[in-house]
Amino acid sequence: MKKQTALFFLTLIFFSCAKVQLLPITSDSIIQEIKKYKGEKVVLLNVWALWCVPCIEEFPMIVDLGKEIKDLEVIFISADFEDQFKKVESFLNDEGVGGKSYLKQEKDEPFIQGIHPSWTGSLPFTIVYAKESGSIVDFWEGKEPESRFRTAINIAFNS
Amino acid sequence: MKKIIIVLYCFNLIIAAELKIGSLMPKMDHILNDISGKNITLSEAKGEFGTLVIFSCNTCPWVIRWEDRYVIIADRYIPKGIGMIAVNSNAGRFQSDDSMEKMIQHANENDYNFPYAQDPGSQLAYAFGATKTPHIYLFDKNNLLVYKGAIDDNARDSSSVDEPFLANALDQLLSGKPIKKTTSKAIGCSIKFP
Repeated sequence: MKKQTALFFLTLIFFSCAKVQLLPITSDSIIQEIKKYKGEKVVLLNVWALWCVPCIEEFPMIVDLGKEIKDLEVIFISADFEDQFKKVESFLNDEGVGGKSYLKQEKDEPFIQGIHPSWTGSLPFTIVYAKESGSIVDFWEGKEPESRFRTAINIAFNS
Repeated sequence: MKKIIIVLYCFNLIIAAELKIGSLMPKMDHILNDISGKNITLSEAKGEFGTLVIFSCNTCPWVIRWEDRYVIIADRYIPKGIGMIAVNSNAGRFQSDDSMEKMIQHANENDYNFPYAQDPGSQLAYAFGATKTPHIYLFDKNNLLVYKGAIDDNARDSSSVDEPFLANALDQLLSGKPIKKTTSKAIGCSIKFP
């Protein structure tokens, strides 16, 4: 029993200290990644950057939504330049983003068009995908209040 | 479903607000406050053969990476009859990062050779449907929009540009040829509306 308890706490410590895995990504690859969650999870995709003040302001709220809501997969893509890799990684770790996260590795125009043709390129950019159909429920440019996120997520769970 | 339709409809209204290619330059007599201390309008900034309007600001890293090319474009095309103006529509920051004092300092530090003016109430940005900085709009001599979007395809490094979208559009405009690529996209900082 003592061994089991120790193992439990060690596992807990391991996961609480887990570092983010920051991976380069193209728009095609992320769309394929999102499709994997169809029928299983609502997906919230947020494109952000370190230099983007509204992105940083809403970032912790989005991280919390991902931790709070079961079956919600939050995917962040940093649009920072590749030479900012270490700073992006450090920020994600500080914000408690575990698992995989992504750094844009594609020219702006094909990346923007590939993510969503109606996106003008302004940051932050958020898309919410429905759980069952995998279709886009809502998308927006700029910082939005938590209520906008929750409304879109609720619709996505029923779509 | 009704909610989804309402949400998507509202977003489409926002998107639909951006100027389409062929649109007439809006708010040409809206008074802007230039760093020279004088007022200026788009009518006054207009060039004989075309007009370039750049929505810009002082602090956006994308502006900072690209603005070396503002100066090159101005050097090359103003003498050829293109009017050029950089408009700061970050009205929400006119009391801080985008104050007139900081705009003057920024323009001096970066050798701006064209007007750089504040857009009171962000009215030009609203009228154009501009969402970010930098955001480029090129009009022909009849004030019709012929190109919108980005300067080129490499903000980070001017020596590694594959497609100089804006320079191509300007060359085609000045030579009387149709603009091959009328729209492009790039990442940018959101305009800080009041």
